[in-house]
Parts: sequence; C-alpha cells; structure tokens
Amino acid sequence: MSQTMTNKATLTTTKRPWLGRRSLDEWSLGGVLIIGVLGLFICVVLPLYTLLSKSVQNSDGQFVGLANFAQFVSTPSLFNSVSNSLSIALISTTIVTSLSFLAAYAISRTRIPLKNTFRTLLVLPILAPSLLPAISLVYLFGNQGILKELLMGESIYGPIGIIIGSCFWTFPHALMIMLTALANTDARLYESAEALGASPMRTFFTVTLPAAKYGIISVAFVIFTLVITDFGVPKVIGGQFNVLATDIYKQVIGQQNFEMGAAVSIILLLPAILTFATDRWLQRRQSALLTSKAVPWTPPARPLVDKVFLGLMCFISAFIVSIIAMAVYASLVTFWPYNLSLSLKNYNFDLMDGGGWAAYWNSIQMASYTAIIGTIFIFFQSYLVAKMAGFAVLKWLFHLFAILPLAVPGLVLGLAYIFFFNAPDNPLNGIYGTMTILVVCTISHFYTVCHLTATTALKQIDAEFEAVSASLKVPQILTFWRVSLPVCMPAVLDIASYLFVNAMTTVSALVFLYSYNTNLASVAVLNMDEAGDIAPAAAMAVMIMLTCMVARLIHWLLGSVLLKHTQHWRQR
Amino acid sequence: MSSKVSSNAYLELHNIHQSFGSHQALKDVSLHIAEGEFVCFLGPSGCGKTSLLRIIAGLDTPTSGVLLQAGKDITHAPIKHRDFGIVFQSYALFPNLTVADNIAYGLVSQKVSVNDRRARVKELLATVGLSGSESKYPAQLSGGQQQRVALARALATSPGLLLLDEPLSALDARVRAHLRQEIKQLQEKLGVTTIMVTHDQEEALTMADQIVVMNQGVIEQIGSPQNVYAHPHSPFVAEFVGEMNFLSAEVTGAGQMQSGQLTLHCDQSTHLMQGDKAQLAIRPEDVRFSTNQHDNNTLSAQVIHLEFLGSRVRSLLKLDNHKRPILADISMNEMANLQLKQGQTVQCQLPQDRLHVFGGAA
Repeated sequence: MSQTMTNKATLTTTKRPWLGRRSLDEWSLGGVLIIGVLGLFICVVLPLYTLLSKSVQNSDGQFVGLANFAQFVSTPSLFNSVSNSLSIALISTTIVTSLSFLAAYAISRTRIPLKNTFRTLLVLPILAPSLLPAISLVYLFGNQGILKELLMGESIYGPIGIIIGSCFWTFPHALMIMLTALANTDARLYESAEALGASPMRTFFTVTLPAAKYGIISVAFVIFTLVITDFGVPKVIGGQFNVLATDIYKQVIGQQNFEMGAAVSIILLLPAILTFATDRWLQRRQSALLTSKAVPWTPPARPLVDKVFLGLMCFISAFIVSIIAMAVYASLVTFWPYNLSLSLKNYNFDLMDGGGWAAYWNSIQMASYTAIIGTIFIFFQSYLVAKMAGFAVLKWLFHLFAILPLAVPGLVLGLAYIFFFNAPDNPLNGIYGTMTILVVCTISHFYTVCHLTATTALKQIDAEFEAVSASLKVPQILTFWRVSLPVCMPAVLDIASYLFVNAMTTVSALVFLYSYNTNLASVAVLNMDEAGDIAPAAAMAVMIMLTCMVARLIHWLLGSVLLKHTQHWRQR
Repeated sequence: MSSKVSSNAYLELHNIHQSFGSHQALKDVSLHIAEGEFVCFLGPSGCGKTSLLRIIAGLDTPTSGVLLQAGKDITHAPIKHRDFGIVFQSYALFPNLTVADNIAYGLVSQKVSVNDRRARVKELLATVGLSGSESKYPAQLSGGQQQRVALARALATSPGLLLLDEPLSALDARVRAHLRQEIKQLQEKLGVTTIMVTHDQEEALTMADQIVVMNQGVIEQIGSPQNVYAHPHSPFVAEFVGEMNFLSAEVTGAGQMQSGQLTLHCDQSTHLMQGDKAQLAIRPEDVRFSTNQHDNNTLSAQVIHLEFLGSRVRSLLKLDNHKRPILADISMNEMANLQLKQGQTVQCQLPQDRLHVFGGAA
C-alpha cells in the first residue's frame, strides 16, 4: 500500500465514508428493512391516520372538529352503548380472570390427573370463530332451545348471552397468559415460607399471588379489550342490546354513515390503547422479577384441594365441550326442532346465501396466503431488526409500527382500511375488493404477537453469530439460512399456525373488506345467521373449527416429527 | 517518515475516541501492536477494553481516530473487509451445525473444495486436541471443548489477527489454567498476532507478551508482564495487577518520606519536591520479617489476623505509629521458622528497593 502517503494529517482526522462503512451485503439487508418499514407504514400507520382524520370530518370531507363525537354523545341510543359495552366487558373480565386463574392454578399447582387433556380441551375455543358459541347458545337457551327453562324466563338474547359467549371464546387467551404467569415458580420461596412457619393460606397470599400479580392484571386488561372490541357474539345473540362494536357495524354497513363509524372507532380505540400501555408497562416490570436460578416447585399432595380443583376443571371442560358439541349437533340436525334426524343437509352451503362452499375455499386460500406470506415477512423482518448492525433509527421505527397493531381492534382496522384503500386518489386503490387486501389486513391485524414471538426466539440465540460469520466472510443472509432459521424453526411454525388459525376465525376486520368474489367462511357464518339460516351458520362455524383443528394437527405433526429430525442437535 | 513507524507495527491505533452520548468509553487511545505479538487488554469491567476490541473487529466504529491494519486504513471498513478471526466469551458456536461444519463455516464461502475442507478441519481439530469430534454437536461437548472448537473455527481461514474476548471466563478454574497454556502455545506455534481481552490479571500475566492496562477509557500502562508487575506506573496499575499496600506520605527529604509517625527511606523520585504529597506502595510478598533492627525501614508491628491460603499465609499487620494495617504474605517455609501467632509483635521490614513511590494524595 502507499504507506508514504499516510502522513500525520490523515492519521488524526477521520472521514466517515458514507457508503464504504457497510458491505454490499449489509446495504441490501438494510434495503429490505426499509421496505419492511414502508410496508408497515402503508398497511398500519396510514390507514389509522386516515381513520383519525375521517372522525373529525363530515360526509363531504370538511373538517368539523369534534362534531361527530358531540353527536355521538347526544344520541341516547348510541351513548347507551357505551355503558352497555362497559358493563358487559367488566362482568366478562371478572368471570374469565377468576376462572382462568383457578384453571391455571389447577394445571400448574395441583396434582390433579389428566392435566394435558384438560389443557387441550380448555383451549379448544381458540380454534372456533367467536360466532360459534353465540350460535350454540341460541340452540341451548334460545326461543326453541333445549335448556331454555334453566334461564327462568330470562332471555338469552341480550347481556346474558353476550357474557356467556364472550367468556367462552376469550377463556383460552386468558388461560395461556395465566399459565405463563403461574409457571414461574421458585421452590426456594415456598420452602422458605414453610420454614418460617407460614400457613398454606398465608403462603398463597404472600408468595403465589404476588408472583402471578402481573399476569392477572395483564389478563384482566386483555380480556376487557377483547370483549369490548368483539362484535361477533353481540351481533348474533345481542338482540336489541346495543354495544359499541355492533354500533360501528350498523353505522357503516347499515346506514353507510362512515364518519360516525370512524368516531365510534376512535372511542373503541381508547380501552385498547390503555390495555396496550398497561401491558408494555407490565412487561418492563415483570422481567425484573425472574431470576435464572429459580428452582421449579413440585406441588405437594393435598387431597381436598386436588379434589376441589378436579371438580372445577371437569365443570369448565364440560361447559366448553357442551357448547362445541351443541354447535356440531345443531349443524347435523336436519330441521331444528321438528326433524331431529341427522343429515349433512346444512352443509350444503351452495343452496344458501353467504357465499357457499366458495367462501370456505376462499378462507382456506386466504389463511394459507396469510400464513405463508405473513410468516416469511414477519420472521425475516424481525430477524433484521434483532440481528442487523446499525440502522438504529429504522429499527426503532419498525419496532414502533410492529407493536401498534396490538392496540387496534380488528373492527377499527377494517374500517381504517376502507377509508385508506378505497380512496379514489390512492394508487393502491386497485387492491380494494381483492384477496390481496384481505391477506394484507389479516397480517397487519395479527402482526404484533407474531413479531414478538419471533423477536423472543431470536433474542434467545447467541448475539455474536452475525459477528462471527462476518469475520469468517460469510454473507449474513447465508447465516440466516443455515443457522438462525433452523434454530428458530419451532417459533416459525408457531407463527404460521397462529396466523392460519386467526385468519380462518376472524370476522372483525374482514367484514368490511370482503367482496362478492372474496366471500369468506367466517363472514358467511355471520351473513347466514343474519339471514336466519342458523343451522348452516353453525355448520360453517364447525367447518372452520375442524379446519383449524387439522391445521393444529399438522403443526403438531411437523413439530414432533419434522422438528425432531432437524432439531436433534438439541439433545445432549 | 512515518512509514518507518508503520512498517514495524501490524496494527496501529491512533487517537481513538469513543463516546456513547455523554459517556466517554475511550479517550485518546493510541497503541501499536507488532506482528506475531500476544497482547492482553487488561482492566476492570467498564474500562473500555471490550469497546476497543469491538472497534478493532469493526463491530463498532470509533467517534474519532484512525485504525490501521498492515498499513491499511480500516477505521470504517465493514467487518467483512477486515482480516481477523474472533472467539467470543459465549463461543457463539452454531448449535445446529456439527463441529466439522462449524469449523468449515468460513471455508465454504471461500470456495474451498470439499476435500480440502475436510483435510483442513481434520488438521485444525488435531491442533486443538479434539481429533475425531467432527460429527458431534456443540451441545455434546464440554465448555473447554467448545472453546477449542471456537478457536479452531476462528483460525480456519488463517486470519492475520486473532481476537479473543474473555475466552476463558466461562470455564472452571482447572480447565482455564490448562487452556491458558494451550492457547499460548498454539499462538506461538502459528505466530498469529493475537489480542485478548480479560479482566483476570493472572491470565494476562501468564499469557501475554505485552499487557495493555486500561482504566476508565484510557491506557494506564503498556509493557511486558514482568515490567507491569514490577514497575507499575500508577497506583491503579499497582493495585489491579497483583496486590499492593498503600501508605499515604509526604516527601520530607531526599529519598525520605513521612507517613504519619513513620519515617521511611525510598528511592529518590525525580519529579517530587519536598513537601509534596505521595503514596508509598509495597506488595504483600515484599514485606520481610527480619530481626535485624538496624536495617532500613524496619518497623515494629502487631499481627492482627492470620489467614491460611494453602501455599502461603496472609497476615494483617498493624504497624506501630500507623493507622491503616498492611497485608504481608509469608511462604509456608518461612512460616515454619517464624511461627507467627495472632496478637504477637514482630519486626518487619519494608525494603527500600521494593517500595514504589507515586506522586499525589491517595
């Protein structure tokens, strides 16, 4: 080299070359990250911005300040929905939080038998659309229901039905958070408490409950948001009982009053944002609680406690199974309640309104696209954010955008998509009414959980892999392919399965976005129910549930067969 | 002109600064490393040694300063365009690849043929003493074995520079002592310029050709292990490398110091004037127990505490007319003669040639 050229001046001054400080490799990966940031900006941020601005405009697009909100407050029937929504959500939250805590306690802290069976049964509702319990309740307690007398004259169409239905479909979400919260036991704490002479009751209140505190708070907020933003259950079984979520639907679909819909959406965003903020705050607090040295605790045999919990688990499981069984049975009954012989007549969807079997196949197609494209996009982008050097601002932006969807209810997102993508001056207007917008919307809707799953998995692998491979002159993308991806395969499968199941069951965002050619199974359930074809609606809901079960089965098979084969390095 | 300087050094760091916000991690660090040298960056956590290694590796870029490797400016070069192999504290072995695939990882991109790759892996495994482990997975190896595989992987592409980031700190004491020797021998055999970051002074003393002692973002001293141990430039180095007793004192005459009530003789300092504050320092093993009261710096002391350390005994001595007690190490042989007991009064000497003098108050 031209060493004679290196004089004192060049040694003391540093010029930071703009292009040369990264290799071509790093620049191209940075480019992909830019595409990701732009993608999320277009698919999440801009639609929400459009929604916000629509809520302060009138139907001619003029700025009217808070006029829409003022009208909302002054319309008694609309404002009534707020208190309806709040009371439904609060009651459901209380029930689900306590039951899920007890169930999680039974699974992780007692010696009841058949834990795995209970666990499988209790999360079953997650595989069904939220409309399924509502339909099932109609058959159980409705005007021609088989257990109508149990309600002692009360009608299932209204708050009772909404609460039972909401509890049913949100229970698995609560249970999974509770199980994680209660899983982190430290036997040393229990031994200390015992050595210090604390009674079992005192131990429960001073050791068990404080450790699960954040999990319980988190569950309460999550369930509250899920219930208040859900519209499937109140739509089917709510009767004349209006809630915020059904208001949006009625304003937009029924009255074409988009601006009022936007205003109600903003109101619906509030609890979701609150939940989101609380959850973030809790996560920061909780991480400090865990120590790596914790010794797992084995529950002692407590015959009475175990018996009580076994009874409770049997009760909850029986309840969940009977709701599902009722839906399945109703879908097979030829003509309820007059001809109880079993047939597949209700599965002849092509004879009903709502899209027929084409809707089902559309759903499969949409869910598959969502799972495949979503998993690839989400995992790779999470990888870039977690493992690429530099680009700090881009990564920060990406993380912000990726977390945002968690705070946006599906209904709100769907409406935001109408405003944004249906605008005539939007160059992306062409995807409106196509399969593409359904896939894009679904991926965006469920983005956050997948992003966090991927990030958690990626954070668990050694932070120095990329530095090592760069020092060995191996392009980062090759290390991604040969190391990071195989090591994170279980998380990748989890993401794909999560996306598929949610894409199959979700209604909220897509109900605004489907078109004649892209009718979906979950929307068909809604439409058939609305048209009075309740049995076919039940049949379609059962089809969705069966499909999700098959998806989970494939996930499990891949997980246990394929992964065992590729992950044998995990064994010592 | 300056090319003369450059030709001697393989790696040159000129005035490296690095700041994170208001925190200055590195302040004006300059350093030359000759080809084939084994250099240790030694210092407490947060002293900037890891920051410096990361700058050399290209994992971070300095706020200002220049970095030359073999005469080439690599200050802002991406990692890929630098010539080094690295072993991290965590080893960062790819868990899903076999030992052979891990070692050959960098060779694949260099388009080395399959047969050459196999031969190279075999050769490297023999070098690190793990022959026959080709098809094992990292999880099946012990910590020390994983360490060796990481070393083999870093050496596979024959880099000009080997960077070791606390490579032994995750291992237990016995394995560590053993690997210390092995890595040193391997480095001598291959002649690869090596930089090792460590907070373990024993590791630095036994392995390095040159030790770079760092503290709070600056280099305190550069020198051979013997030099750094015997002639520390600052109280920090004196205390961090080995152990040291400090006595605060004041210069009262040529080669004479006053510490509290004690008058001590020491080598004359060139830069201290009469009346200046100073610190006298002596290593515990340099304190002598003598009976000849006429020797220089002989003091009367009381044994406050004795601690058995296996090969030696550590005593805590309260010097007469001096507040802070000092530590003195006694070998077991000497102990057999002295038969020290707790509470006993002894005569001890702080030999003049073993006293270090540092300017400034404590």
